[in-house]
Amino acid sequence: MTPRPGITPSTILSATVAGLSPVLGMIAIYITLRGHNAPGGGFAGGLIVGIILVLRYLTDGPDALRRLPVDPVVLIGVGLGVAVLTGMAPLVVGESFMESAIWKFDLPLIGSVKVVSSAIFDLGVFILVSGVVAAILVALSEADDEARRGLDDRPGRSGSQGVDR
Amino acid sequence: MLLLLLAYGTTAAVCLVGHRRLGAAAFPLATLPHLATLVWLVSVAGGVLDGTPVTAELAWVDALDLSITLRLDGFGLLMGLLVAGIGALVSVFSVGYFSADHDRARIAGLLTAFAGAMLGLVWSDGLLTLFVFWELTSVASFLLIGTDDRSATARAAALRALLVTGTGGLSLLAGLILLGIASGEWTISGVLAADPTGGLVSAALVLVLFGTATKSAQVPFQFWLPGAMAAPTPVSAYLHSATMVKAGIVVVARLAPVFADDAPWRPIIVVCGVASILLGGVRSLRQQDAKLALAHGTVSQLGLIMVLVGLGTPATTFAGVAVLLAHALFKASWFLSVGAVDHVTGTRDLRRLHGVRRLPVLAATIVLAAASMAAIPPTLGFVTKEGALEALLEGGAGWTGTLALVGVVAGSVLTVAYTIRLAVGVLGNDTDGSHANELHTPGPALLVPPALLAAAGLVAGLAAAPVGGFLARVAASLDPAAGDSALYLWHGLTPALGLSALVLAGGFGLWWISRPATREAAAPRSASTVAYDRAYEALLSGSRRITGSTQSGSLPLYLGIVLLSIAAATGAALAVDRGLLDVSSFPIANSPLEVAICLVTALSSLGVILARQRFGAALALGGSGYLLALVFLLQGAPDLAVTQFLVETVTVAVYVLVLARLPQRFSSAPAWAPLGVRIALSVVVGLSVAGFALHASTAREAPSVAEEYLRRSEPEAGGRNVVNVILVDFRGFDTLGEITVLAIAGAGVVNLVAAARREQRRKHLDDGTDVEDLSGRSPGVWR
Repeated sequence: MTPRPGITPSTILSATVAGLSPVLGMIAIYITLRGHNAPGGGFAGGLIVGIILVLRYLTDGPDALRRLPVDPVVLIGVGLGVAVLTGMAPLVVGESFMESAIWKFDLPLIGSVKVVSSAIFDLGVFILVSGVVAAILVALSEADDEARRGLDDRPGRSGSQGVDR
Repeated sequence: MLLLLLAYGTTAAVCLVGHRRLGAAAFPLATLPHLATLVWLVSVAGGVLDGTPVTAELAWVDALDLSITLRLDGFGLLMGLLVAGIGALVSVFSVGYFSADHDRARIAGLLTAFAGAMLGLVWSDGLLTLFVFWELTSVASFLLIGTDDRSATARAAALRALLVTGTGGLSLLAGLILLGIASGEWTISGVLAADPTGGLVSAALVLVLFGTATKSAQVPFQFWLPGAMAAPTPVSAYLHSATMVKAGIVVVARLAPVFADDAPWRPIIVVCGVASILLGGVRSLRQQDAKLALAHGTVSQLGLIMVLVGLGTPATTFAGVAVLLAHALFKASWFLSVGAVDHVTGTRDLRRLHGVRRLPVLAATIVLAAASMAAIPPTLGFVTKEGALEALLEGGAGWTGTLALVGVVAGSVLTVAYTIRLAVGVLGNDTDGSHANELHTPGPALLVPPALLAAAGLVAGLAAAPVGGFLARVAASLDPAAGDSALYLWHGLTPALGLSALVLAGGFGLWWISRPATREAAAPRSASTVAYDRAYEALLSGSRRITGSTQSGSLPLYLGIVLLSIAAATGAALAVDRGLLDVSSFPIANSPLEVAICLVTALSSLGVILARQRFGAALALGGSGYLLALVFLLQGAPDLAVTQFLVETVTVAVYVLVLARLPQRFSSAPAWAPLGVRIALSVVVGLSVAGFALHASTAREAPSVAEEYLRRSEPEAGGRNVVNVILVDFRGFDTLGEITVLAIAGAGVVNLVAAARREQRRKHLDDGTDVEDLSGRSPGVWR
């Protein structure tokens, strides 16, 4: 754990944020999906993911952002891909670009569920926005970290290997 | 027809993709599509020559009425036979010419790709199809000239050729589009049938002629062609003498019978053509490199063909087609022979070549090709040159025809002179026995193709009557009136024969006189090459200067310009219809809470301005952002408020990260913007933006789409949150564009930061700066 200068690392805060993160993640997805009928949507959801990362950064330092399970740049691509493919899918069945489809079906226990294809589009927006925010945060925090710590002359040092703990 | 083009494409792809493994097998493979084309062309030749063209069409972009439209008529048949026939021979020759040192598969692949594009070009009927194939040949030529990519000369020559022919290509495109608009037809045959007239057509023709002049190396664009000799000799033989440089002629030949009478056509063609004939001839006399001498000769010959087909009378059209065939045969033969000579002796320098005459087949080939080039009977060169003189003597094209006649006669004298000089230069020396020993006997692959081409020139000359009949049917596809033309090996004592004799005598005399002067002369640099290079340099340095003067790198300046533009645009809009701005119709506030929030927001904004430290300013800015979100909420826009809250939160976090790398306090303002200027700018921008916002909400003339969206949201898009439905459905395309921009911006930030870090690290390694210091300074992009 690399403590940020001027900030005393707090185990309690760190543990709290770590515990909260999955919950916040669920909220982000919930906000995204409910966007169709209530305030929210992919953009807001993606920003919530960004806020989770900011919290992790504040408590755990740059290491938190280095341990991301996916490369944020990949997320950007995936999000854009999902959005474009959703837009193009109607072309396959002869509809016009970005025409939305509505499916309704019943699930046991949950009841009647309505899925709109544009929600998938919004999911793409969500992934993309998460990716962009994460990518910017990772890039800036790395640069910040490097500038603070001083440059390390060892060649080939990549961001994923923390140096001086 | 489409299948054949596909075969070329596939073969090219196989050669280029499998190019490591293919090696020596590439050239034999590359002959296959040529052979298939030849077989197909012969099989359909009868019908095509009788006047029933073969057509093919492939829909491409239906919405734009774009399709690949091909049409094989008599002229297309002749050109197809040349492209495929010479292509096959060049491929065979290449087997012997290229060794394992060359990237054979790459050359073979590009040659095949070129051949496919060239066939597409000569068979195109669609105007845009023609342009596409035209550009493909330019690109293939660029890549082939630059085959020796380690040579700076070759790279420069390739780029020069591409830029010249590419510029011409754009001009051609513009011309073709204008023709299409003027006639309402998008095929060549349609345009010709419609025969449009008027100023638009004249402009179109000038543009088209510009394009054809670049491609067919006509003065003043001839300079790229000698440079293109940096390509391997088989490539030069194929592209830069027999086929690609004929592309301009193909277009001119197709248009001339209908458009030659239009005002600008004949003067442009004839003046440029005659200039090319003379300039090419004179320059050829001064070259010491056999291949360069041939290249300048090609400029001259292309000028001749251009003049003939460009005049557009039935007789000259026929003569032009005939000379085109003769030229393709003897010039390709010449090039391949010179390639063989180069391969055998290791030089093409006319002053150093020795002993070539001891290679009987090669020597005979060169003599035959030279005879045809100098128009000595009974070769095809002679027969067609006679036909050309006869057609020009016949007249029918006004003063341009007379100019053309004089030019062609003078040019022919030059042609005879440089041909004799070239032949003597290659074959004449056999004084030094030691050089002869170094000769190795060339293999059949190097000897047979040029010999076949040269022999064809002789046989066709002897069989002038049937060849003339064939060419007459070919020319008839361009101009039906040319259908009864004929070629004669001997047609009595005519003025044309007299001129021919005069030309031969004059040419011999010129060679004899100029011999001493041209023996050691070094060719001067072409004035137009110099002009081109200067223009190119000026363009580059000019754009550097413009970039330097407009992009100062000063962020305050950029910001000032952006803000001023916004203020100017909105202010101008307000000034135009200020009568509509009726402030009295706005309620001051909806609730006391709103007033309070607005006041605090304003205070917070004031805090941003007054803050002395960056961090404080960032916090105050974030604060005013949150307060604004509250206003949104009060106005009943929860979606906007949510997004605003979240954005402010993330932005402040990003600020903190960035601020860590910036000085704590603001840097002092630039000299051009003292406090007064900055305040004035802010006030102007603020007022105009606020005024614009107020004005926009009262200026509605059409009914709002809001009602429509609200009504359709639930049933059509299945969502009750109309804001979101607008984003992802009604205006989903906009959102798609926005997230694309977002993705690009994100990638940009990541890369900028990475670049700044690299820079910093390099600096550190270079001068060992104390890096702790860097966090206090502003490195890289944050400057």
